[in-house]
Amino acid sequence: MASDVIVRFDNILALDNFSVSIPRGVVGLLGPNGAGKSTFIKTILGLVEPVSGDIDIVGLDPRKDVMSIRDRVGYMPEHDCLVDSMSGLEMVTYFGRLSGMTKEDSIPRSHEVLDFVGLGEERYRPTASYSTGMKQRVKLAQAIVHDPSILFLDEPTNGMDPLGREEMLELIGKIAASDKSILVSSHILQDMEKVCQYVIIIDNGRSVAQGTMASLLDQDMTKRRMTVRGSPKSLQTFSEQIHRDFEETSISEEFGQMNIVFINDGSFAMILDMAKGHDVQVRSYVPDRLTLEDVFIRSMKRDA
Amino acid sequence: MGLNPIGYKPWNGKRTEHNRRFLVIADSILRQKIKGIWFLGMLILGTFIVHVLPLILRSMSPHEGLSAIMMRDYLGDGLFFIFEVILVALVCSDLISEDVRSNSITLYLSRALRVEGYLLGKWLGAMITICLFTLIPPLAVSIAITVTQSGSDYLSSFTVVGQTFLAGLWSAAFFIPIGLAISSITRKKTYAGVGTFMFFFILMIVATIFTEFSTGWALLSPLELLYDTHTVIYGLELSADVNQAILGAIVFILTVPPLLLVYLRIMRKGVGK
Repeated sequence: MASDVIVRFDNILALDNFSVSIPRGVVGLLGPNGAGKSTFIKTILGLVEPVSGDIDIVGLDPRKDVMSIRDRVGYMPEHDCLVDSMSGLEMVTYFGRLSGMTKEDSIPRSHEVLDFVGLGEERYRPTASYSTGMKQRVKLAQAIVHDPSILFLDEPTNGMDPLGREEMLELIGKIAASDKSILVSSHILQDMEKVCQYVIIIDNGRSVAQGTMASLLDQDMTKRRMTVRGSPKSLQTFSEQIHRDFEETSISEEFGQMNIVFINDGSFAMILDMAKGHDVQVRSYVPDRLTLEDVFIRSMKRDA
Repeated sequence: MGLNPIGYKPWNGKRTEHNRRFLVIADSILRQKIKGIWFLGMLILGTFIVHVLPLILRSMSPHEGLSAIMMRDYLGDGLFFIFEVILVALVCSDLISEDVRSNSITLYLSRALRVEGYLLGKWLGAMITICLFTLIPPLAVSIAITVTQSGSDYLSSFTVVGQTFLAGLWSAAFFIPIGLAISSITRKKTYAGVGTFMFFFILMIVATIFTEFSTGWALLSPLELLYDTHTVIYGLELSADVNQAILGAIVFILTVPPLLLVYLRIMRKGVGK
C-alpha cells in the first residue's frame, strides 16, 4: 500500500501524491511512458527515496527494511538485462545465490524454475545467443528463483510471438495461483485484460483510476452496440441524428451495414421509432462492455 | 520450447545473511576470470617470467637469509609492474562496464544487496584474481628463499615473508580502484581495458618528462609510487628526494576518489540516470 507518495528528480515530479492499495493476485499497472510506473517500482525496491508519503509492503517500510523487502520481491525488468557471458542456468543460479540461496539450493532450484518457464537444453548456452522469447523466460526465471512473495513484471510479453505471449500469460497465472502478489506493467492491454484481476492506471505520477478488472469494465452499463441496415442516404441521416441526440463513441459502415456504439440510458423503443422514421432496419442492439483500452483512454482523457 | 505441464513450486530454504552476499560476486569473478584465455595466458606467462625464474635462481644461489631489500627490489621490478598493469586492465575492464552495458546492474540492485556490497564484491573479486599474480607467487618466492637459507635467523626472514604478504596485497589494492573507475565510466570493456593501461602508462611518461626539471615529479610514476610504498611496508628508509606527505597524497588520490566515483556512478545507475 502506498499513500501520498511524492518522488522528485530535481525539478521533475515523478510521483505526485501517489496512493494505491494493491491486493493479492495479478495487478496491472498501466500508464503511458514516463507516467511513473518504473519510479513506483524503484521506490518500493528502495532505489529511489520518496520526499514524503508512506509505503507499506507486507508490513515493511522500504526506507527502514529495504533488504527484507528485496528478499521478498522478484523483479523482471523491461529491458535486456542478462549477463551475456553466462548461460541461462549459470545466471539464474547466480542471482539465486545473490538473493540468499546457498549454492546447494540454488542449482536444483534453477533447474526447477527453468523447467517451469519452458527453457530446455538452451539453458546451457550463453544468454547472448538467446532469442527474445528465451530472454524473457530467463528474466522471469531469475525473478522467481528465490520464491518471492511479491513479483514485479515490467513488460513481460515484450517482443514475444503470439504463442510465446500466451505461454508467458499462462506462467503468470500459474505463479499467481500460488498465493503471490504480482504487479504487471505492460502496454499490451489485451494481455493485461486476460491476466489481471485488479488494475491501477497511472498518469503524470498520479493514480487516475484503480479497481478490480470487473468493476472497471462494467462501470458503463449504458453503452450499447447497434447494427443497422438501409440505403446509404437513410444510414447517413440516421447516424447524424444519433450523433446529435446521444453520446456516440464509434461509428463504422461496411457493405450497407452500420455499426454504432453509443451511450443510451433511455429506452430501446425510442431508438426503434427513430430507426423507423429514417427507414433503417435495426439488426442488433446489445449492451457493449468496455475494453481495458476504453477504460485506459477515458482515464487519460479525464486526467488531461 | 513450450511449457511443461508443471506447476509453480515454492522454495522453503534458509537464506544466507545479507552482509555475506558480496562473496557470491567475488566468487563469480574469480571463476569467470580464470576461465578467460587472455587472463590465464598472461598470468601463466607473467608468473613464469617474473616469479618462477627468480624463485629458482634466488633459492638455488647461496644466501644467508631473506632480506627486505631483496624482496622490495623484486616487487619493484619493471616487468612485475608491466604484467600487473596488464592483468589489472584485463580483470577490471568488464567488471562494471559490462553490467552497465547489459543493464544487469538493475538485477544486482533489485537484490538484497547494497551498492556498497556490490562494489565490495567487485573489488574483492578483482583483488583475489590479481593476488594470483601479486601475492601468491611472491609469497612462494619468499618462503622458498627462507627455507633454503644458510643462516639461522629465521625470525627475521619470516618477518620479511609477512611484509611480502602485505606488499603483495597492497600491489593489487593500489591498481584496482583506477581499473574499476575507468570501467564505470564506459560501457565498452575494450575502452576500459585500454584506458586503464594507458592511464598508468601516460602517468609514467609524464613523470619521466618532468623529472628532468624536478625529482619530485618522479612520484607521479606508478612504478615509483609502488616502489616507495613497498619501501615503507618493508620498513626501509625512503630516499631523501621523496616527500612523504606528497607520496601519501598521491596514493590517496589514486585509490580513494576513484572508488567514490564508482560508488556514485552505480548509485546513479540505480535510480536510472
